[in-house]
Amino acid sequence: MNVLMLGWEYPPHISGGLGTACEGLTRALAGEGVNVTFIVPRAFGDEDARHMRLLTPDSVVATTRRVDQAGVRLVREPVEVIEVNSVLRPYQTPEQYLQARSEFAQRSEPVSHVMEVLEHGSVAASQAVAHYGGDLFSEVRRYATLTSGLAQRLDFDVIHAHDWMTYPAALEIRNATGRPLVVHVHSLEFDRSGEHVNPDIHRIEGAGIRGADRVIAVSHYTKGVIVRQHGVDPDKIKVVHNGVTRAEAAQRYHLQPEDGRPIVLFLGRITYQKGPEFFVRAAAKVLTRTKQVRFVMAGSGDMLEHVKHMVRELKIEKWFEFPGFVRGAELEKWFSLAECFVMPSRSEPFGITPLEALACDTPVIVSRQSGVSEVLRHALKADYWDVDRIAQLMLAVIRHDSLCADMLEMSSRELLRLHWRAAAEKTRQVYQQAVAG
Amino acid sequence: MPSVCFYFQVHQPYRLRKLQPFAEGASDPFCRESNAGVLWKVAAKCYLPANQRLLELIHRYEGRFRVAFSLSGVAIQQMEEYATEVLDSFKRLADTGCVEFLAETYYHSLSSLRDPVEFRAQVALHTDAIQRHFGQTPRVFRNTELIYDDHIGELVADMGYRAVLAEGADDVLAGRSPNFLYRHPARELTILAKNYRLSDDIAFRFSDRGWKEHPLTTSKFARWLHAHSGSAELINLFMDYETFGEHQWEDSGIFQFLDALPHDVLSARDWRFQLPSEVVRDLPARETLSYGRTTSWADQERDITAWLGNRMQQEAFHALHELGPRLRERNNPAALALWRKLSTSDHFYYMCTKWFADGDVHAYFSPYEGPYDAFINYMNALDDVRERILGDLPAQENA
Repeated sequence: MNVLMLGWEYPPHISGGLGTACEGLTRALAGEGVNVTFIVPRAFGDEDARHMRLLTPDSVVATTRRVDQAGVRLVREPVEVIEVNSVLRPYQTPEQYLQARSEFAQRSEPVSHVMEVLEHGSVAASQAVAHYGGDLFSEVRRYATLTSGLAQRLDFDVIHAHDWMTYPAALEIRNATGRPLVVHVHSLEFDRSGEHVNPDIHRIEGAGIRGADRVIAVSHYTKGVIVRQHGVDPDKIKVVHNGVTRAEAAQRYHLQPEDGRPIVLFLGRITYQKGPEFFVRAAAKVLTRTKQVRFVMAGSGDMLEHVKHMVRELKIEKWFEFPGFVRGAELEKWFSLAECFVMPSRSEPFGITPLEALACDTPVIVSRQSGVSEVLRHALKADYWDVDRIAQLMLAVIRHDSLCADMLEMSSRELLRLHWRAAAEKTRQVYQQAVAG
Repeated sequence: MPSVCFYFQVHQPYRLRKLQPFAEGASDPFCRESNAGVLWKVAAKCYLPANQRLLELIHRYEGRFRVAFSLSGVAIQQMEEYATEVLDSFKRLADTGCVEFLAETYYHSLSSLRDPVEFRAQVALHTDAIQRHFGQTPRVFRNTELIYDDHIGELVADMGYRAVLAEGADDVLAGRSPNFLYRHPARELTILAKNYRLSDDIAFRFSDRGWKEHPLTTSKFARWLHAHSGSAELINLFMDYETFGEHQWEDSGIFQFLDALPHDVLSARDWRFQLPSEVVRDLPARETLSYGRTTSWADQERDITAWLGNRMQQEAFHALHELGPRLRERNNPAALALWRKLSTSDHFYYMCTKWFADGDVHAYFSPYEGPYDAFINYMNALDDVRERILGDLPAQENA
């Protein structure tokens, strides 16, 4: 099975959980004997992608060859990242680009519609901008046009596209090649923006999901949102929960906070979707019962200033720290230092950070409005708006070592089941269904 | 003359409501609605129809069919509060003279494992309730969930009981049969060991379609009993009363089974039904039997890990008992009763994590989402006792 996979980010250059999930899934797919060619908008050279073929849309590829020779063969292609070279771009001039686009528009009505949206749509007011930054629509447009050109020189059985940014490219490639399309929904515009959904992104999302042959949702929660928001036949959607990579669990620090005060940790983008204000309000309640605690909010985002303002208004800034965006070793340091990790997201399709926290032996409190709460039984759960309950759970974790120890003991067994291998196996079945029609 | 000794456990805890530690004002920590609701449901499915059936059987066999009960004090108290007709139906059974009520702790607690003073106090409260409602004074003891070891045997014997019920655990019997009476190694105390195979055939396997003996008919079960003729003096069939109609649903045929069983058992010459105190009176206890570990009738392990197996359960149990001396000292009946309701074993059972492991969703009744919520809510209840009743300052540490 040869898969053309379209993604938006790849570790270590990530802004959220999407890149981490793509890495875990592709590694496990390689173990299942699936050959993956992964196209990411930009590569930086330090990506570790030895298990597959990592390309950028402007990569130069020779001729593609089938690699699934007889017998079991794991792909161990060297990373094939080619620096952007404007001379070698498939579309060298705006004229050529426009020509290609109009040809493409004639081919496919729904695809042209999507491209239309990209051309004239507005990215204002969308949380997606806060998430991915930059001139997102032009980035998506660039990716779509270049990738579809590149795809014509590649050989694959199925297209697998991760989230809406890659859907225009995926739809175009599906049209050009007739290969079946699987779209993988890690998050929805509804999750990111709630009431303030960007209609253009919502339309691209819908076109991709409806135009796909099969849909993978990261949780039953997300499947439900897809069916409600986009009116898709539920039978077309398969739920594949994310996994957690064991390497993360192996690097444990067992650190203790310097002053002995337990740390309650928020770690993630400080945006509307993640519900940071519920963390602050719960913290204020906890502080009415104990002052022997620190609250750390690691991350950046468009609500950071608002959150800091809230903390000042509540006069609790003495107990708060804002270390900014963290990743890699620093991220694991915070997970290891923390007594408790809290994810009060308003709408979280999956949410991989609680699994990372557990892998660092830190108990978690997760919102019920998250996919990860479906797979974690040894976690504390609350509705994101239920500040009293979140505060009560924070206090319980701080006060009762027995609670933490029992939860961690049970969840360490649970994490073994949440391996990417299981996700890859289900994904492979989806490919087979898509190829079979 | 081999005897069949039937004993049924009847118990309902006072379940806690979901406590709100950040809400103002005090309220009853126990959830009246859910406690009454569960009692009514179990009464309709089990207590009322099963009691009616037993009453008919006792009359039909003119005293040759007889059974023993252990009703926890908190079950009796809730019947008084929410369903007096259920209590009346037990009184009608008591009036036949063919039903024995056993002694236990009023609160169905684990106090035998930790606090002998409290244990004796709770047993005395229970005896008082049995005398008041059923006009009997229990002579035979049955501890919470059949929890027993040599030490508990000493406590019980020293309180004047002549006999105790215990689990016939394989490792304790070590090859010996549960179908004889045994003696405590150091006290004048007779031990009735549960025949768990035959008991569990009814209590757990009766409606299991995957069981090779399904469906279990009375003639088949009586044949298994009668096969012990000549090699057994008694068969102890101990089980939850909710087996009838609640654990095994009515449509499984469990009531028909109960109805037809006495006939088939009594059809063999010499077989009879006896009450625990009659067994102890009529049969010799030939050998001593030492319970070196604490056993119960729970799970495969037949131990106490369902209540005190994990760290949360141990912390909660410790925290509960720390308050005991202070509460008894205050001599405030309402406060003491509230604390004692928190000693009921079910609160600890809800915190058990061993069934919560890898995909093994054990179908057991808990009012909580899971063991962690059970623990947190319980600790909130203890905080409440500390702050409201004992007047401790809220646990607040200032930086």
